[in-house]
Amino acid sequence: MSVLGTSPDRSDADAKLRGQAIFGADLARTGMLWAALARSPVAAGRIRAIDPAPALRVDGVLEVLTSADVPDWRTGVIVSDTPLLAADYVAYEGEPVAVVVAESRAAAEAGSRAVAFDIEATEPVSTPEQALAPGARLVHPDWNRFAVAGGADIGRDGNVVAEVVHDPGDLDEAFAAADVVVEGTYRTPRQYQAHLEPKMALATYESGRYTIEVSHQYPFRLRDRVAQITGVAPSAVRVVGHHIGGGFGAKLDVSLEAFAALLARRFRRPVRMQHTALEERLVAPCRSNAIVAVRSAVRRDGTILATEVEIVSDSGAYANNGPALSSIPMFVFGSIYRVGTARIRTRNVYTNTAPTGAYRGVNGPWLVFANERHMDAIADALGRDRRDFRLASLARDGDLMRNGQRLEEVSILREAFDRVEGVASWRDAVARSSQSAEAVTDVLRGAGQAAAIWLTNPMPGHATVKLNEDGTATVITSATENGSGAVATGLRQIAAEALGLAANDVMVTMPDTDATGYDAGSQGSRTTHVVGRAIADAAADVRSQVLDRASQMLEAAPEDLVIADGVVTVAGVPAANLTLGAVAQAATWSDGPIAAGASYVTPTPAHDPMCATGMLITGWPTPTYHLHQAEVSVDTVTGRVTVDRYVVCQEVGRAIHPDAVAGQIQGGVAQGLGFALCERVDLDHGRYVQRTFKAHGLPLAEDVPKVEMIVMEHADPAGPYGAKGAAEPPIVPVAAAIANAVSDAIGVPMDTLPITPEAVLEALEAEPNGEAVARAAREPVLNRDGEQRRETTGRAS
Amino acid sequence: MPGTADEQSVSVRVMVNDRAHQLDVDAGEVLLGTLRDRLGLTGPKEACGEGECGACTVLVDGGPVASCILAAGSTNGRVVRTVEGLAGTDELTTLQQAFVRHAAVQCGYCTPGVLMVLTALLDDVPEPTETDVRRALAGNICRCTGYQQIVEAALEAAGTVQS
Amino acid sequence: MRFCRVRSVAEAVDELSRWGTEGRILAGGTDVMPQYLRDEQSPAALIDISGIDGLQGISEVGGVTSVGALVTLRRLATASLIAMRHPALAQAAAAVGGWQTQTVATLGGNVCSGAPWADTVPALLIADAQMMLVSKSGRRRMNLGEFLEGAGATALRPTELLRAVELEPVGDRSAEGYVKVGRRSAMDLAAVGLALRLSLTPTGVVSDIRIAVCGGTRSPHRVPSVESAVVGSQLDDGRLDWAAAGAELASAAAPERTEAARYRRQVLPGLLSRLADRCVAGIPGECG
Repeated sequence: MSVLGTSPDRSDADAKLRGQAIFGADLARTGMLWAALARSPVAAGRIRAIDPAPALRVDGVLEVLTSADVPDWRTGVIVSDTPLLAADYVAYEGEPVAVVVAESRAAAEAGSRAVAFDIEATEPVSTPEQALAPGARLVHPDWNRFAVAGGADIGRDGNVVAEVVHDPGDLDEAFAAADVVVEGTYRTPRQYQAHLEPKMALATYESGRYTIEVSHQYPFRLRDRVAQITGVAPSAVRVVGHHIGGGFGAKLDVSLEAFAALLARRFRRPVRMQHTALEERLVAPCRSNAIVAVRSAVRRDGTILATEVEIVSDSGAYANNGPALSSIPMFVFGSIYRVGTARIRTRNVYTNTAPTGAYRGVNGPWLVFANERHMDAIADALGRDRRDFRLASLARDGDLMRNGQRLEEVSILREAFDRVEGVASWRDAVARSSQSAEAVTDVLRGAGQAAAIWLTNPMPGHATVKLNEDGTATVITSATENGSGAVATGLRQIAAEALGLAANDVMVTMPDTDATGYDAGSQGSRTTHVVGRAIADAAADVRSQVLDRASQMLEAAPEDLVIADGVVTVAGVPAANLTLGAVAQAATWSDGPIAAGASYVTPTPAHDPMCATGMLITGWPTPTYHLHQAEVSVDTVTGRVTVDRYVVCQEVGRAIHPDAVAGQIQGGVAQGLGFALCERVDLDHGRYVQRTFKAHGLPLAEDVPKVEMIVMEHADPAGPYGAKGAAEPPIVPVAAAIANAVSDAIGVPMDTLPITPEAVLEALEAEPNGEAVARAAREPVLNRDGEQRRETTGRAS
Repeated sequence: MPGTADEQSVSVRVMVNDRAHQLDVDAGEVLLGTLRDRLGLTGPKEACGEGECGACTVLVDGGPVASCILAAGSTNGRVVRTVEGLAGTDELTTLQQAFVRHAAVQCGYCTPGVLMVLTALLDDVPEPTETDVRRALAGNICRCTGYQQIVEAALEAAGTVQS
Repeated sequence: MRFCRVRSVAEAVDELSRWGTEGRILAGGTDVMPQYLRDEQSPAALIDISGIDGLQGISEVGGVTSVGALVTLRRLATASLIAMRHPALAQAAAAVGGWQTQTVATLGGNVCSGAPWADTVPALLIADAQMMLVSKSGRRRMNLGEFLEGAGATALRPTELLRAVELEPVGDRSAEGYVKVGRRSAMDLAAVGLALRLSLTPTGVVSDIRIAVCGGTRSPHRVPSVESAVVGSQLDDGRLDWAAAGAELASAAAPERTEAARYRRQVLPGLLSRLADRCVAGIPGECG
């Protein structure tokens, strides 16, 4: 019986439920020191002096290091712009300025608070608009001296970290031919990952090598980054992974580890570091805030002739992965819906704020928010039903994405619209919306949809599969279990399926960069697909070794052998059998142990390399297809939004572990609801406003509805047993679907997130008669004869 | 200033997971620190440090408490139970088993605190409604699961729904 | 810092007089400890009163409810006497934080914090709460309205301890309730909290109405201008038009020129009407 499509227990569940699982934040070593960072209290300023004396007076403090004591070169994933400790100037509040080493954690933290700074504060470049304004102060005056990985031209210019431009030529003709021009500006804030386990590091230095023990999503990047920062070869760094208490993208790059490593070397003792609760939120690599302006030329029959998209995202004080993420608009606009000729420009800019980074779905939630709010705006302008308009505009198989990549199975999206309709009638939802607008109550109802095509991260992975002498198997990989179950269940099931074992008979190692091949970490839903494929290939090799050995032992041809339930049997001769343990034992002591390794990296899909300038992500590999439909109620007294119904239709290739897929969908929707409605990350003069965990307003159990799910399976021939990625994308369309539903309910376009109770009441108050507003917003721009009544629509334009 | 030399200690007699302890704790020490650093019980997790996320939840005299902001000195004479004290060395409790079946554990960092709250709920309210469960969890942030599988596990463990 | 564990009110007031402004009373500690951990407070002594049995009681004697200062919010939210006699207080206690907070946080702590968002305070104000205070120099009682002296400030002297709060229970043909508005279903500080006690004559005339709000920038407070405008109104078919009262409530309770106050002004009229309808429906013979 296949173990695929069943939901066996997670390998880590028992330890986690007993409180026995050791997370990074639980680690301790005999004789360890503690270190803590002293961070800039201002968003921008020139460092005049740093006085370590008050910190050195704290009992237990051993040393205070400043920029003069550590490597002085700048490093980075893409742009080498980040100093280990700020030397001349600070570029954001929370930037490390000194590091304090002490005998205890309390002393290290007290010491870090005691370091005295003399910083001449300057007015920060607080927003992307300020960064782009003519004559804006440069966040990094010497920006043009920073190296870019591979020497790539990413369009850097002053405060512009990266610029991606897709410009197929003149759009004026299309706009001149349009019956309606629809424009909107869509604004979204940052989003905080809010993984519960703080970032930490434990470093030792022995015999010329660093060992970093950590809870990290991407141990191999960490190895390379620590090597880059400390100036050693990557092979001089070993990263050992432990249980991860949530990451959602925040634990993909280096944070404290290089400090701990350098100090471990300096003191020849283990050094432990951990973010305080305040540090967690001051320096979290939040999802970037963004402004997306979209302008479309539309014909009265609903054809979109041309679309112009202008995007600005906020990199914060350092580049991090912003330049790469700036390619993503190329895969959102014009991929899901036909938008005609499209000009897309994305600029990622420096500001004096904490650097943004990777958060589940990266730029997707705000790009899809803009794309889908805009689709509603066009449908409303044309007086079309929003679902009908989407269906009419959907891309078709064979269409090209803006990068020239062919959409092979985008018709899955059309199927998704049918499947969702099968469980939650759009017409009924819209009818409930209209009824609520006419009734005299304090509840307005609304419905919204949003679609997405998301990638499965293609980056490389390796796995070794060994058959143990008792007939079980071990998978050796540095793939990281970030909570999704991809490692704790999915990879084990894939190996088990290939070897005829139960999932419980397969173990997976914890990450160790010394012991395994390269792995690109827990990101972009890649583990099941990429590492699973490597495991499937390695297991196939193991399987053929088993069959070779067993065929000699059973005196039967390999092709006549069947492996199931841990037993090799000659087909049709049940008595002629051997346990896998017996085969493994025999093999070990004759030909040698049975094991095999395999690598996989998803090939980049064929595309047009000339499609845009500045692109670092050039293709959209292993796409999956998503449609979300939300129904909401708005309390017109308080402005609070309640999600009455939420339906997700998601295509996953093949659901290896259905309960884990369900957990990813439910959890992704919860995070998306937070982004849409209640979470806050605000900046004031470059500094974060929310200084406590409470202030972030994360969704609670009573705030999240049970998500109804339709999981579609269209097997990917390259994936392990057809599996694509599943974990990342459920967050991507949520804010869009919710915003469309709320806008429908209150009859006012909600083009800025989050849609707080305050924002809802403001919108309603601007038009005190909700019913009239609802009608006005739906009032088409074209009259019955198809004549244009006004040029543009959308409050934001 | 927390944890520095001017702190004086105070003696505490406290029962933790059925074992009596006599401890000298710092005046400003929180129970979470006592459990993790003095008693080696790292099941209760350190997270927000302000009593907002619930990862550090333990039961004090049967009631769920955020141990990260509870003064250790105030637990004198009290009975504390941590996640390690639920099943001890035995089989997982009915609630824990339901968590396994419902895939209610993802990263697992919130799990110890969530289990303590739900254990208290099932003691208090033998047949909780879904609303009871969700309301009881107000002080527990789970960023991974979106809560649904946790709620279903709790209801199954309560016998409110059949597995 | 010292940790002083006291076992009786007498010991407590001794320590309080010894430490004065350098001491901080520790009950549930849900405010005190986070402030200490964030370095916002560095008292010389924490005076742990959580073990004083005499401050734990809830009783009703001679038409007055007495709630000990150490009664936890969880007990307030679940005690049957409170549910019957002070439903607004039960609802307010249940609205504070999560279960973990309610387990240890006390009524005394919520009131003595002086926080503008203290949920229980509006519910106490509509019960005409009297603060029963004690110090080495003796006892005194004080009306809660006078006890509150602005955001974060109260009339509690550094050497003084709150023993209990005395409350006037809700009477026959009266009903009360508390509603809180925050961004999420729980855990947020009140953007607006509104407590209402409404009494009707058998003919449906408002004989008494008490309205109190929290969530602004000042201490929670009664809103007498609205109360006096509504008293004497006659219900029509179980309903009252609350529009005028709501408008007055909004301007009286949220006069500030901030965005937060603007939101409170928008919410309060509808919230008052909603809560009033609920109260009317809770009075026998009124359908609401």
